[in-house]
Amino acid sequence: MAIDKQKAILFGAAAAVRLLLFTAFPSLPNLLTGRVEISTPVTSFKRLQEGLFLYTHNVSPYDGGVFHQAPLLLPLFSLLPNPSTQPFATNLLYTIVDLLGASALMQIAESGQSVSSRLFTSPRKALRWSNIAIGASFLFSPFTIATCIARPTSALANFFVLSSIAKATQGASITSILALAFASYLSFHPILLFPPLLLILYDAYAGSSKGPSNPLAFSLVHIGGLAAALGMLLYLSAILTGSWEFLAATYGVRLLLPDLTPNVGLWWYFFTEMFDSFREFFLGVFWLHILSYVGGLTIRLRQQPLFVVTSLLGIFAIFQPYPSIADSSLYLALVPLYRHVFPLMRYSFLASSTLLYASFLGPAFYYLWIYAGSGNANFFYAITLVWSLGLSVVVGDSLYAVLRDEWEVERPEMRGKEVRRI
Amino acid sequence: MLSSLLAVSLCFLALSVRAGSDYHERLLLRPLPQNALLASFNFRSNETSSSFERQNFRYFPRSLGQILQHANTKELHLRFSLGRWDAESWGARPWGGAREGGTGVELWAWVDAESETDAFARWLTLTNALSGLFCASLNFIDSTKTIRPVMSFEPEGNHPNMSSPNLHLLHGTLPHEVVCTENLTPFLKLLPCKGKAGISSLLDGHKLFDASWQTMSIDVRPVCNTDGSNCVIEMEQTVDMVLDLDRSKRPRDNPIPRPLPIEEIECDTSKSYNSQDSCFPLVKTAEPSWSLSEIFGRPIKGACPITGEEGEDGETVCLNVPAERNVDIKTNGGYAEVRRDEGLLRCYKLPSGEDFDITLPEQSLPAPLLLSKPPLTAARSINGHGQERGSVQAVLNNPSDHPVSLIYLESLPWFMKPYLHTLRASIPGAPASTNPIKETYYRPAVDRHRGTHLELLLEIPAHSSLILTYDFEKAILRYTEYPPDANRGFDVAPAVIRLLPPDGNLNTPLVFLRTTSLLLPLPTPDFSMPYNVIILTSTVMALGFGNIVNLLVRGFVGADEIDGWKPGGLKGALRARFEKLKARWFGKGKKDE
Repeated sequence: MAIDKQKAILFGAAAAVRLLLFTAFPSLPNLLTGRVEISTPVTSFKRLQEGLFLYTHNVSPYDGGVFHQAPLLLPLFSLLPNPSTQPFATNLLYTIVDLLGASALMQIAESGQSVSSRLFTSPRKALRWSNIAIGASFLFSPFTIATCIARPTSALANFFVLSSIAKATQGASITSILALAFASYLSFHPILLFPPLLLILYDAYAGSSKGPSNPLAFSLVHIGGLAAALGMLLYLSAILTGSWEFLAATYGVRLLLPDLTPNVGLWWYFFTEMFDSFREFFLGVFWLHILSYVGGLTIRLRQQPLFVVTSLLGIFAIFQPYPSIADSSLYLALVPLYRHVFPLMRYSFLASSTLLYASFLGPAFYYLWIYAGSGNANFFYAITLVWSLGLSVVVGDSLYAVLRDEWEVERPEMRGKEVRRI
Repeated sequence: MLSSLLAVSLCFLALSVRAGSDYHERLLLRPLPQNALLASFNFRSNETSSSFERQNFRYFPRSLGQILQHANTKELHLRFSLGRWDAESWGARPWGGAREGGTGVELWAWVDAESETDAFARWLTLTNALSGLFCASLNFIDSTKTIRPVMSFEPEGNHPNMSSPNLHLLHGTLPHEVVCTENLTPFLKLLPCKGKAGISSLLDGHKLFDASWQTMSIDVRPVCNTDGSNCVIEMEQTVDMVLDLDRSKRPRDNPIPRPLPIEEIECDTSKSYNSQDSCFPLVKTAEPSWSLSEIFGRPIKGACPITGEEGEDGETVCLNVPAERNVDIKTNGGYAEVRRDEGLLRCYKLPSGEDFDITLPEQSLPAPLLLSKPPLTAARSINGHGQERGSVQAVLNNPSDHPVSLIYLESLPWFMKPYLHTLRASIPGAPASTNPIKETYYRPAVDRHRGTHLELLLEIPAHSSLILTYDFEKAILRYTEYPPDANRGFDVAPAVIRLLPPDGNLNTPLVFLRTTSLLLPLPTPDFSMPYNVIILTSTVMALGFGNIVNLLVRGFVGADEIDGWKPGGLKGALRARFEKLKARWFGKGKKDE
């Protein structure tokens, strides 16, 4: 009962903050929508508006270089009133999406998967934050709030990723796979979360009274389910737009990076400066690089699939073609689930100060380059390097801490002693 | 009365086409306010379509004719322009905008082809061939600079198969192209007299490209009788320029402007400081003196012998000055003067083989020449600051007494990404409910493949102006896609505005207007460091990847379980080393004792 009351207060406060920001500063949403750190070419709300305008005026939005977002967003947003004149419905939608995402995150925390999965129980499992605290850390993170105010479509994808994880920890295959299909449909890369999510689902089934089915049959059924859900979504999109050209304009753009608008990631400047003859080669290398983490992490951390999902989200926030702080906010929302390994992390001060440094200097350096003209592109590029480095320190350090935690189950006598990696 | 006169003089020029001979040339000179002079050259040659088909070229240049046949081009319009037409002081454009281009090079043509891809392939053939012919970068008109206008242009010629879908209109612009003397030389070579005789002998690159505004055009179109018989292929070449008289009169060997000697300046004697050596110059009200040889550097070298001699065909040089203006003709040959339009237009028949020069002395006139008012004025600019986004604002002003319908055509480069949902057209003072945009045609840009094509049908009420705005975003390009002077910015082609005839009358001449081109600064990367970027980015990725792989593939052992490793990390190692040294030193000391 007390939990419900706390939750109500938390959600009420979070919604109030968002709606207050929306109404008290009517120019803030448009200001944040224009920020390259939040809105990328594949998620920007302004581009969604343009796509919507073309869609409602019977021009194919995919026959152009501006709109690169999923087709099913168009009928959804065309139901809402025009956000430039009546923004309330859109604001409410994004606020609700954030709250639902937080609710899913709290379900994940409640399941306790982060401290004890089917195959592994941390010796430090007593050390954890309450669900409310974890929900609050997501809802009141400045990155999440800025994302919500700027209204990129990655906020929707984040919600689907969170609910897919939450449903997977509860063993609800159909909802989980459906949510994952939606997330992948909206932003493509979440499909790489499928292997660890499948493991979470399998563990949930294995732990339940029903008993595990044949692993091969289990995975085949789920792969089939995901393929069917994705196929249905794509087919619906094709019916809606009348052709398959949206595939090249949405997923093709994410794969091939024709739009080099600056963002917080590593790709844009690299491919701005890349020699033409090597462009395709390095696109392949960069994508292979992202893919390579999935198998390695899933196999090594078989006992803690939820941590694989968390780490992968961190890696996506750094290494995907069009990252934004919306992706970072999703990763940083899941990190507090691992409160119990925080004492094992070695560079938490370095990482947090690097991230703070980059978040303050990033906008300043962007201003110097684009508006003041007193800096050049290298200023902003250097900050994106620092930001990526900071996030990758968090990812690597948390991975170290979790592995060390795992190792101490085998060697309880090594607790607090120095270790070497061989 | 005078303004109607000017319109008459132009129509008179435009309609004297079909009369008589197959070659015709005419020069119109008209002094403009502020010591400017409009010189409008017009050359026309006809070839019957049957001899054109058989490649039997007489006055039509063979080089251009063969290109047109090879590219299956039925009608061609090419413009080279520099500078800005100052409509506020110079009035309406000399050809009503029909022969004047926007800044840079503009080309549009009707190409006969089975399909759109065929038409585009022929278009590329045409642009590449014309590029060679005119020494211009026309070969850079690729798919990103080509549009297919739907409302703005209509064929000027009579095409027998006009309604067939095989006639494709393609339009391309090069706003960055600097028109210069290397484009004039091939232009003159297309003329039958090649600049050796006739009015074309006045055309000199030094003077033409020194003008405040100049435009050259080539138009090829088929012209038939009303029943579709007796078709001729007509080629029209025009050169229009507005010269600054003071600037053109400076001698070539001494072009630096110098103040006049004080004796020649009219002083304001009412000033207290007026004396022998100090003077407040009065604004000259008298019409300045000029002559053809002063302005163009040489007189006309006699008539081009193949022009027709009878009637209006022979009247090659026309001067549009008030009737009271004194005009002296200097020539040793025989010439004839004809006055038209109540003396406001004096036309001269040129002597053959003898130099011909016109001299106008300085003279005060009771009333200046009235210029016809432009039907519409247009100005376009980029608003906003920074290299990330901006907005375009076009102000179209209708000074006339009746509402004007017009078509507004924009062809934007792909790296300028307009947001059509931000397009607003407002008329200050009009009720908010009126929407001046009657029709919209929009084809969005595709990165590196196609530019934006926007056509609007607008209506502006009498005595009001329309403000058109839209937002756009600037793309960042790959570093190899920037020109060498990347920080100068990129040129955006002028908007083309076509005024529709008020009552849908199709026989009225076409009226066009072009805005100036825009300069669009884009964000630039650092061009000096591709290697550094590759190295630094790869380092960050390697750090992340290396760290994670290291953790994944290696196991843990206690630090005290390995030989050769001291616990305590770097600090421990240093301490151990220090202990060792200390032991040695103090051990030694002990021994010495």
